[in-house]
Amino acid sequence: MNVLRIILQILIIWLFYYAGVLIVEWTGVFIPPSIIGLVLLWVCLMLNIVKVKWIQNGAGFLISFLTLFFIPTTVGIIEYPELSTLAGVLLMLAVILSTLVTLFITGKTAQWIEKKETELEHRKQLIEKEEPIMELSMEQEVMQSDSASRDY
Amino acid sequence: MIALVVIISTVILFLLGQKLYNKFPNPFLLPILTVTILTVIFLLMADIPYAIYMEGGHIIQLMLGPAVVALAFPLYNQRQLIFKYKYSILCSLFVAMFAGLISVYSLLLLFKASDTFIYTALPKSLTTPVAMQVSDSLTGIAPLTAVLVMIAGFTGGILGPILFKFAHIDTAISRGIAMGSACHGVGIAKLKEYGEEDLSIGSLSMGLSAVIGAFVCPIFAMIVM
Repeated sequence: MNVLRIILQILIIWLFYYAGVLIVEWTGVFIPPSIIGLVLLWVCLMLNIVKVKWIQNGAGFLISFLTLFFIPTTVGIIEYPELSTLAGVLLMLAVILSTLVTLFITGKTAQWIEKKETELEHRKQLIEKEEPIMELSMEQEVMQSDSASRDY
Repeated sequence: MIALVVIISTVILFLLGQKLYNKFPNPFLLPILTVTILTVIFLLMADIPYAIYMEGGHIIQLMLGPAVVALAFPLYNQRQLIFKYKYSILCSLFVAMFAGLISVYSLLLLFKASDTFIYTALPKSLTTPVAMQVSDSLTGIAPLTAVLVMIAGFTGGILGPILFKFAHIDTAISRGIAMGSACHGVGIAKLKEYGEEDLSIGSLSMGLSAVIGAFVCPIFAMIVM
């Protein structure tokens, strides 16, 4: 029963993937079909056209095997002996370094913007409460004692 | 027949790899790494060409598309969070896109790489299917781009958590955006261990950066090359 439900739900998800494939064929856009299918399914969930319980088991199953579906592509490394030449090694090194730089810059930027966005939300809430000065000074004290305790 | 053997053995290897990883959650024991290495060693020792392996491999690969579609589910579960942080996410994604393009381009210039290699490496921040198409239209080597995409993914899957710890990148938003925009599927698979919030922001970031990147990459290449 459970297996049958998962299979049926995967079929529903596959229909969305197929819709993505058709849209790409018709319009010739260079967005991958899976991304279009993802957006379509998400919109249908938001509009309650597709109910969560119709797909949640199938989606959970597919996601738990996500890594498996990548393995044939990664085994493709075998096809590129030129990767072991100096130029190939430098190419890979550039990708690794660039990825680390990107992770660092993006992570830090996102955290900074997130902090600003949260502060803004917080301030809005405080203004609604009409107690901005008290709350803020209390928060500062907490922050100071926090950093002080960290120093020791 | 060969296809069936490949599928069954890959699934069994994957399940064993996952069990091993659950017991010893060390990044070097990520199933994608252990299973890939074991498969490559086996194919080389048994002298089996990749094309033969892919008779079964491409059937496994068929599920990748629907599995990416399935990421709409965690995305939907986190809808409130995503709407709340939509500006953080969009701004950071553009930063990620340009950080990735500029850094890989300048490194390759420094290493005196050929134009073909530069075109091949530029889309490495995007998810595999988009990256290959962009690489193709830029006259890069599409299959080699897929390998570089995987290397970017491995970098995030293995070194990402260490970098996050070291640099105090410790919120779901920042981890999710960074991984999703730089390390696609493999990075996202790693995000699963932080929780659903990371995973949904990661998959949203991967999706959005694929769409943005498919346009930005060719424009960037036109400007700099």
